[in-house]
Amino acid sequence: MMNNQPTPGKALRWFDPRHRQPGTWAFILNRITALGLTLYLALHLIMLGKLAQGPEAYDSFIALAKTPWVKFGELLVISAGLIHGLNGIRIALTSFGIGVTVQRQLFWSFLTLALIGSAIFGYFMFFVH
Amino acid sequence: MTDRLWHVTFSIYRKKADQPPFYQDFSLEVDPDEYVLDGIERIWAFHDRSLTFRHACHHSTCGACGMLVNGVEKLTCITPIREVTKDGGKIRVEPLRNFPILSDLVVDMSEFYLRMEQAHALQVVPVAQSTLPYESLRFPDDGLPHERLNDCIECGMCVSACPIALTAANYQGPAALAAAQQTYSLTSEKSLLALVDCADGVWRCHSGFECTAVCPSNVDPAWRIMELRRQVIRHRIKRIFRQDG
Amino acid sequence: MIRMIQTKAHAIIIGAGFTGCALAYDLARRGLAVTVLDRGEIASGTSGRTHGLLHSGARYCVNDQESAVECIQENMILRKIAHQCIEYNGGFFVALNEQDLAYGPRFEVGAQQCGIEIDAIAPQKARQLEPNLNPDVLAVYHVPDGVFDPLRLALAFAASARFFGAEFLPYHEVENFLTNGQGAVSGIKFWNRLTNSRSELTADLVVNATGAWAGVILKKIGASVVVTPTPGIMVAYDCRLVNRVINRLNEPGDGDILIPQRRMVVIGTTSYEAEEVDYIPVEKEQAIQMNRDAITLVPRVATCKQRGVYMSARPLIGKGEAGRSLARTFKCFDHRETDGIEGLVTITGGKATTCRLMAEKTADLVCQKLGISAVCETAGEPLRSYREYYQPSGANR
Repeated sequence: MMNNQPTPGKALRWFDPRHRQPGTWAFILNRITALGLTLYLALHLIMLGKLAQGPEAYDSFIALAKTPWVKFGELLVISAGLIHGLNGIRIALTSFGIGVTVQRQLFWSFLTLALIGSAIFGYFMFFVH
Repeated sequence: MTDRLWHVTFSIYRKKADQPPFYQDFSLEVDPDEYVLDGIERIWAFHDRSLTFRHACHHSTCGACGMLVNGVEKLTCITPIREVTKDGGKIRVEPLRNFPILSDLVVDMSEFYLRMEQAHALQVVPVAQSTLPYESLRFPDDGLPHERLNDCIECGMCVSACPIALTAANYQGPAALAAAQQTYSLTSEKSLLALVDCADGVWRCHSGFECTAVCPSNVDPAWRIMELRRQVIRHRIKRIFRQDG
Repeated sequence: MIRMIQTKAHAIIIGAGFTGCALAYDLARRGLAVTVLDRGEIASGTSGRTHGLLHSGARYCVNDQESAVECIQENMILRKIAHQCIEYNGGFFVALNEQDLAYGPRFEVGAQQCGIEIDAIAPQKARQLEPNLNPDVLAVYHVPDGVFDPLRLALAFAASARFFGAEFLPYHEVENFLTNGQGAVSGIKFWNRLTNSRSELTADLVVNATGAWAGVILKKIGASVVVTPTPGIMVAYDCRLVNRVINRLNEPGDGDILIPQRRMVVIGTTSYEAEEVDYIPVEKEQAIQMNRDAITLVPRVATCKQRGVYMSARPLIGKGEAGRSLARTFKCFDHRETDGIEGLVTITGGKATTCRLMAEKTADLVCQKLGISAVCETAGEPLRSYREYYQPSGANR
């Protein structure tokens, strides 16, 4: 009878969106973007540490930063920031009872805003400089 | 309403004692307007008498027949077969998540009921105060103090769908928190705020909103949890300024 | 199965519906050790699917006054002891045509004779109180009807029984009786459907409280009672259009009761005999007729969606032509008298409203047979919270 019990190990199942509704998709996105942003932060700190080593390190970093795949990675970071930040606003609002009955509409609105924002940044990153 | 019968395969989760679980398939001819529970009953009556499952009222007042149907929490007595599959399709039936499994589709609800009792959940409430504040629905109101059985039928589906209840055994859960909110609104019983104002209570919810999505009975636990947070904070602020404990 | 040494007399009850649960409570209170077995969950047979009407008895006050008096007395008791699961808003008996009106005088006399408090209400006033009532209503009487939650009523009795030491074994199907050398019943053999294992349990007396299945289970020991499973249909709609029970003012018939319950209304019922009631298919024509009957009482039902439809098999005592003419009261059978088998008692018939009284009479018989002098105390004290049923043993002491 000790089966089917809640355990922290089941957290991987959070990331299965099948049969669930937008609230869960927002929940999943928030966690994935959080992990992504944390990873980015770690990389960023490592990179800053390397820069402290002198001008040659800086130049080689800038060369790397202009390659398309790094730019794309940075676009992902911006997307993650927008999604996480805007959904965070949604969660802050609903946590205090504002908009709970329209949480799905809030989710779609903020996701749309985040994607539009990502598209704008992407345009400037890839087609303007 | 159609007279044509559908051929549907019910794939039922089976588990007895310490034996490993498995899925057992049953082929049924069903009227698509029949309910999933009708199919399960026929399986017990005519195919396998060892199948165990809970049911009582057959019309969503008792809350006994909640199960996972094709991966989603459903109250099987009011879920028409046409809602979950098509002719020639499959219906996978499993017990609710996050409750210990006793046998086949029967889960252990003792912890759940203990939490409902601790939250002083009400079964009979005044009709005039029985809907959510934002609902525009109104029942006939002749000004007399009528009472009715509460919306929450204690089916446990909200707990089954909740991602926090999946991983945190001590989380009070959406049903108990919703009950505490409603009882507090009707009785102003301060001890309920103390009960829920803790890490395993109202602050543990992470806004998955699945509870509200699967509730068959208009409880809206997510709304109630958020409202309960406001009530808790209001009370805390009052305590700081008035020191009335 | 480990059995502690019993100094108390031990009774086994087969069937955990209203009767079995209420009887377990009564016997446990009187000091017996009680074990209740059911092949399913509590109230998974007829009891769970009952209409949910807490009868005032007015329905029977003309043609079945014995039943009516039992109902009103038990109605008053259950109101107090089972308040936790009852919507108590009263009911209306409504006349919609001349035949209904003609029933009125007999109804008034009958109610008075049975001690049921009824009030004639002007149709205009009744429609103010219940705006969704059929506007063509000609006469209305108010009666002390109520509505209960079937599963929770059974659980409340079961929780109270457990509080006094009774043990419940759901999903344990009784497969046969044990007999001693003198042909008396000494226990039962059961199939534990949770673990798919089999075992036996002995007792000083076995009570057959299987309701509509009372005859079926007695075949295993060559005993019999004449109980006719008599199914009827119920249809639930997803709108609470009335606060009171709406009854048709006339002789009891089909589709003449509409109850509110939570956010629904439920119309019932029909009546026909059946042999086999382990599974009762829904009769679509009856569902359609019920829909018409509901709309007759409360026209707005036509705008509501069907939420559920289900059949329930009443246990009616005796065999008859039409279900309605059989008595709805209950009967205890001592099988020593009817079949020469000691140690076995059957209780069947009755209705949900009178379950406590059925239990009292049966417990009186059981105690008399076992030589126990203890009186019934179930009418005076509120039942335990139905949620306590689910607590592990020892947790609710």
